[in-house]
Amino acid sequence: MSTLSFSLDPTAAQTTPSQRTQYPIVTGTSVVGLKYKGGVMLAADTLCSYGSMAKYKDARRIRTVGTNTIIGASGEYSDFQSIMDTLEGHTQDDVNYDDGHKSDAKSIHSYLRAIMYQRRSKMNPLWNDLVIAGSGFLGYVDKIGTTYEDDFIATGFGSYLAIPILRSKWRPDLTEGEARALLEDCLRVLFYRDCRALNRIQIAKVAEGETGVVSEPYELETNWEGAGFESTKGGMEGDGGW
Amino acid sequence: MASSGSGYDLSPTTFSPDGRIFQVEYASKSVASSGTLIGLKCSDGIVLACEKLLANKMLVPGSNKRINTVSKTSGCAFTGFVSDGRQIVNRAREEASSYLDTYGIPVPPSVLADRLAHYVHYFTLHGALRPFGASMVLGCYEEDMDEASLYMVEPSGQVFKYFGCAAGKGRQGAKTEIEKLDLSTLTVAQGVKEAARIVTMLRDDGKDKPMELEISTVAAENNYVHKPCEKSVIAEAEKWAKEQIEEEEDMEEDED
Amino acid sequence: MFRNQYDTDVTVWSPEGRLLQVEYAMESVKQGSACVGLRSSNYVVIGALKRSVNEMSSHQKKIMEIDSHMGIAIAGLTADARSLAKWMRNECLNHKYVYGESMPSKRLCDDLADRHQRTTQTYVRRPYGVGLLVGAYDEATGPHLYQTCPSGNVYEYFATSIGARSQSAKTYLEKHYEGFDNTEKDELIMHALRALSGCVQGDGELNKDNGSIAVVGKDQKFILIENDELSVYLDKLDVEGGNGEGEGEGGNDGDAMEES
Repeated sequence: MSTLSFSLDPTAAQTTPSQRTQYPIVTGTSVVGLKYKGGVMLAADTLCSYGSMAKYKDARRIRTVGTNTIIGASGEYSDFQSIMDTLEGHTQDDVNYDDGHKSDAKSIHSYLRAIMYQRRSKMNPLWNDLVIAGSGFLGYVDKIGTTYEDDFIATGFGSYLAIPILRSKWRPDLTEGEARALLEDCLRVLFYRDCRALNRIQIAKVAEGETGVVSEPYELETNWEGAGFESTKGGMEGDGGW
Repeated sequence: MASSGSGYDLSPTTFSPDGRIFQVEYASKSVASSGTLIGLKCSDGIVLACEKLLANKMLVPGSNKRINTVSKTSGCAFTGFVSDGRQIVNRAREEASSYLDTYGIPVPPSVLADRLAHYVHYFTLHGALRPFGASMVLGCYEEDMDEASLYMVEPSGQVFKYFGCAAGKGRQGAKTEIEKLDLSTLTVAQGVKEAARIVTMLRDDGKDKPMELEISTVAAENNYVHKPCEKSVIAEAEKWAKEQIEEEEDMEEDED
Repeated sequence: MFRNQYDTDVTVWSPEGRLLQVEYAMESVKQGSACVGLRSSNYVVIGALKRSVNEMSSHQKKIMEIDSHMGIAIAGLTADARSLAKWMRNECLNHKYVYGESMPSKRLCDDLADRHQRTTQTYVRRPYGVGLLVGAYDEATGPHLYQTCPSGNVYEYFATSIGARSQSAKTYLEKHYEGFDNTEKDELIMHALRALSGCVQGDGELNKDNGSIAVVGKDQKFILIENDELSVYLDKLDVEGGNGEGEGEGGNDGDAMEES
């Protein structure tokens, strides 16, 4: 019996199951997005981790597609890059067809749903959770093809840590500044509690009637003086266990 | 036809006794009798211009394009059998996008032209296929040289790089006119007008037949993005062209 | 009948640079009964004359729904049209599944034309012997009317006609199309019927059995208007005295067995 997972004899039938992407390798963490009065906004940090190692600190995880759509991705970064290559091809196709039809956020969201679901059905998923935003649209697609639209969306750890904040603070009439402050709050909490998060972030928006813009990365102000961080030892200082 | 017939002209896989492939020549004939198409390499980019004859006045203006975008910085124009031409356009788009996917940079014009020529040439090699009845002119930005270049692919599969080229009905006259231009100093903006003048000038006697002029550019001022010209720009160029032509005609009359 | 030795294979160019087999395929469109199409700024109307083989048979279907935003009228070989329609329906369905929106009509018509073209360049297949009028309404760009040909050409029109004796319809449309822009749906249908009535063969007339109309447009999903629903419009036509006044172009009875 050979221990090789492949056979050198081309006529022999495959003896082991073929391995596909069963786990991610280089990953980005949460993306948070919300609608506000007059637009849609996304936020994500710029860290890509290799397992638990903070490996790439300038990995931009929010990008524009065409002019009116922005996409944020958590999960496998290479899969996200490949998805963006495909979408850029689509944007060029729209130009080539020259028929006045342009993909909008809704159709890109639908397209990604079809792709994600197809890939997972072949047991070879693209390992991403994606947030797609465009004029009046905010949608989510995950690696198994689940989709939904909402007024605010968060992926990864964000669905545990950002969603409760958004539930209590989100209003449909948030101004652009309030929306941005709220997203920064979410990412700050994520940075405090998610070990794969970073305080270097990007914010992106699609304001009504304007093209999508993604900010340059900038650092969040953080404060580690809080009581929760001060007494992490649960009053057991000196017992040698901490 | 001098040495047609005799059964040597029924397949692209048959050589005639004097070494010609008649089917390829016949295919070229279909190009030679269709709308005039010219390409100019100006000092700061490429101009493509093409006359589209309209069979009916109820056709929607701007439909059924002869000039198409291939990739961000390349465009092409064709003349001959429109349906054949579209097939080459599709191939050009596939080549451009697969090159970008593979190498991460836009396809160099020489490579794109070469691959298209291979594609067109393939159809001259098989008994079960026929050669394309269309010529294609390609205007494409070359990153390494930081300039745009001009190629023409013919039904035979031949391809050449040009300063100025022409195909279709008025190609002879167009070549003569292009040779008179100083392409090394001519700007794209002027080139658009000259192209309009040449194509308009070469329209044959049936000048009343409805036609549409298509012009596009790959110009430095647009960062070499391929752009079909706006209707207003074309209208202006056509107006200028007609004035020039009338002036010339007046001068000729004076000479007489 | 044989013009020369260059007219039996699709893949052979004639010395003049023509493709005779493709031209012959174009002829089969002219054998089919007439179809007309016209559009305003909000609607497209397509209309067709249906044929029946004899008194006992039904009339052959001429207009088919492709999707809720698109329909076709066919002239030429019906069986060819049906296979193209099946493909078009599939494309529309796939597009809707993937993108969650209707197939943009120009893309479908361009792809359809490319399909036609491929049959003209390989030895193993014959060209499709059918011409289509495609009427569609796109959310982004409004109403469109396309004509496809066996040669792989596709044209976009404000109004046009194809099929046997369609010249009289074309003449009517050419006279009136510039006024179609703000025309209401019902009036557009009347224009289609007036155009169509001139294409009826011999001493026949346009009636609820042989007439067929379809409309698609803004807030108007594809609908087919035939039989009693069509009578409403035909009555109006009779009142105008417009029916049966077609400029007959002489008989073209031919063998209508497979063409319609």
